Amino acid sequence: MTVTTNEREMAAVRVEDAWKIFRQEAEEVQAVRGVELQIAPGEFTAMAGPSGSGKTTLLNLIGGLTRPTRGHIWVAGRDLTTMSNRELARLRLEELGFVFQAYNLLPVLTAAENAEFPLLLQGRNGGDRRARVHELFTRTGLTGLEDRRPGELSGGQQQRVAVIRAVVGEPALVLADEPTANLDSAASDQLLAMMEELNRELGTTFVFATHDPRVMERARRLVRLVDGAIASDEQR
Amino acid sequence: MARSTTLIRLASRNLRRYLRRTALTASAMIVGGALMIFSLSLGDGGHEDWIESGARMGSGHLSVQAPGFKTSRKIEDRLSAAARAGAERALQHPSVARHVVTVVPQLAIGGLASSPTGARPAQIVGVDPIAEAAFSMLDDKLVEGRYLEPGDRLAAYVGAGMMEALDLRLGSRLVLTAQDADGEISGQLVRVVGVFRSGVPEIDQTLVHIPLTTGGTWLHAGADVTTIAILLDRSRAVPAVQRALERELTDQIAAGELMVLSWRESSPELNAAVRIDDMGNYIWQGIMFGIIALGIVNTVLMSVMYRKREFGLLQALGFTPRQTGGLVITEGLALTAVSGFIGIALGLFLTWLFFRNGLDFSFTWDENFTFSGVVVDPIIVPLFSVRRVMQSLVFILLIGTLASLYPAWRAMRIDVAEAMKFER
Repeated sequence: MTVTTNEREMAAVRVEDAWKIFRQEAEEVQAVRGVELQIAPGEFTAMAGPSGSGKTTLLNLIGGLTRPTRGHIWVAGRDLTTMSNRELARLRLEELGFVFQAYNLLPVLTAAENAEFPLLLQGRNGGDRRARVHELFTRTGLTGLEDRRPGELSGGQQQRVAVIRAVVGEPALVLADEPTANLDSAASDQLLAMMEELNRELGTTFVFATHDPRVMERARRLVRLVDGAIASDEQR
Repeated sequence: MARSTTLIRLASRNLRRYLRRTALTASAMIVGGALMIFSLSLGDGGHEDWIESGARMGSGHLSVQAPGFKTSRKIEDRLSAAARAGAERALQHPSVARHVVTVVPQLAIGGLASSPTGARPAQIVGVDPIAEAAFSMLDDKLVEGRYLEPGDRLAAYVGAGMMEALDLRLGSRLVLTAQDADGEISGQLVRVVGVFRSGVPEIDQTLVHIPLTTGGTWLHAGADVTTIAILLDRSRAVPAVQRALERELTDQIAAGELMVLSWRESSPELNAAVRIDDMGNYIWQGIMFGIIALGIVNTVLMSVMYRKREFGLLQALGFTPRQTGGLVITEGLALTAVSGFIGIALGLFLTWLFFRNGLDFSFTWDENFTFSGVVVDPIIVPLFSVRRVMQSLVFILLIGTLASLYPAWRAMRIDVAEAMKFER
């Protein structure tokens, strides 16, 4: 298959023959094996599979948190495999948002400070930051919790703050690794509804790594991974 | 700017979050900083005391001499009348005069002191009795008789050691012999009017003060002197005043008529003693701060290991590895800066506490203890110095930075994907 430069630039994500091989003592573990994947802007995609199927590794490759052993990853038209650590950090700051299973809010910052953190790193002024965070807190029903520290919030509230942090800088792509795994059904539904709304209204591309059926049900595209390779790719 | 503020905000909040760990490390820095300032102030106070004692026993903080006099101690190497006049003019210059406490002329030569019982080598110094009494500590060390007075002619003020060696009594006659200005060996009879005991054996056994006019007449030197001894308000002013004097006397120095010597050059033994003592102090402090630095390394490194996920998250959000390291260094620096400030303040308080009456070490040595030709006072008054405060602050911040480098390097090398793994 011949891929044109234009196709790479148009895609939100393009993975070309990506391999990730870990060495554990004398043994080689092929976590990702020759994956080919293209995700268009605005997609709401879930990558599903059992533990060890390589979905988190693939998500980390797309997020530039780890480098492929071979192959290429294109995000927002840029080849991550040729970028320096500094350039990758810049790309993560400007084009990517992350949501993790363990919420991962900075414990020393308040909810609002956590949410505005990417804007702070981008050098946006205080007025802009506060307005943007206020808008998102209102939209997601978190008004009144701005000054609470993460330890004073429920799991669902923490994860919603983490989602706000992921989208606050208006990234092209949000990568969510098992975002509902620690939440009960109600909190999971609320969170997914919020993400769907942001995807619909802001046009942000969402890619999930999950084995939660609720996420798979809501995804408009479901990519199944088995043993590090794509087993199926289903558009809904 | 926003990123620097973010780093500082994160660093300070992290330090407050792990308060017990922060407090433990900070307390070590506080004690270290306080001890450093206090021991430096005490050391400086002690040195100032030694130097002043040495200056008053000898040729001042600074002295103006003919170039060959330091080694020859002969009258032929005396200052000419023109050189002396030039030096006295230079001493009036404002940059010099504001530090000068007193100036004394001295006619100092090596010679022999004899009595009917025997003879001993002597350091004979012709002095102006009034000026010398204000300059020297020797008049305070009187044990019998009196110090020289204006109008004295054939009087001598003699060390107790020489009195014993030559079996002299108050009022005894003593013959001083030395080479005069004409190159002839010449003798002078004097009578002992006073006896001193400085506590320094080499001074007590050799030094004899006689009136300057007596010396000038006896040695055919007229009003010439060998040394103009200058006492300053503090020893720290010596380098600046020496430079100013040398600037004012450039032509005469170039012509080989005179030279300006500091106490370091006049009393090399005392200079070496001060430097050795300073070095000992620095080594002790280096060891102490080395131990404290290891404590900081341990604290910051533990914090980095404990917060791997947090550093991974920061990098996932857009921190570069360098910024991650910067955060660790900022935390280390903030910790050392705050605790260093408190430590220095505590050290200054201790210094102030002992500033009035000094610290009494008489349980360790008595008031006759001598060291490198000076009597060491058992009461040491610490000396406050802005320079020492700045030095200590820079040193503490340097330690903080160095101690944070390795933990920062470890934080920079964190594997983000590994750090963000969810652990069940």
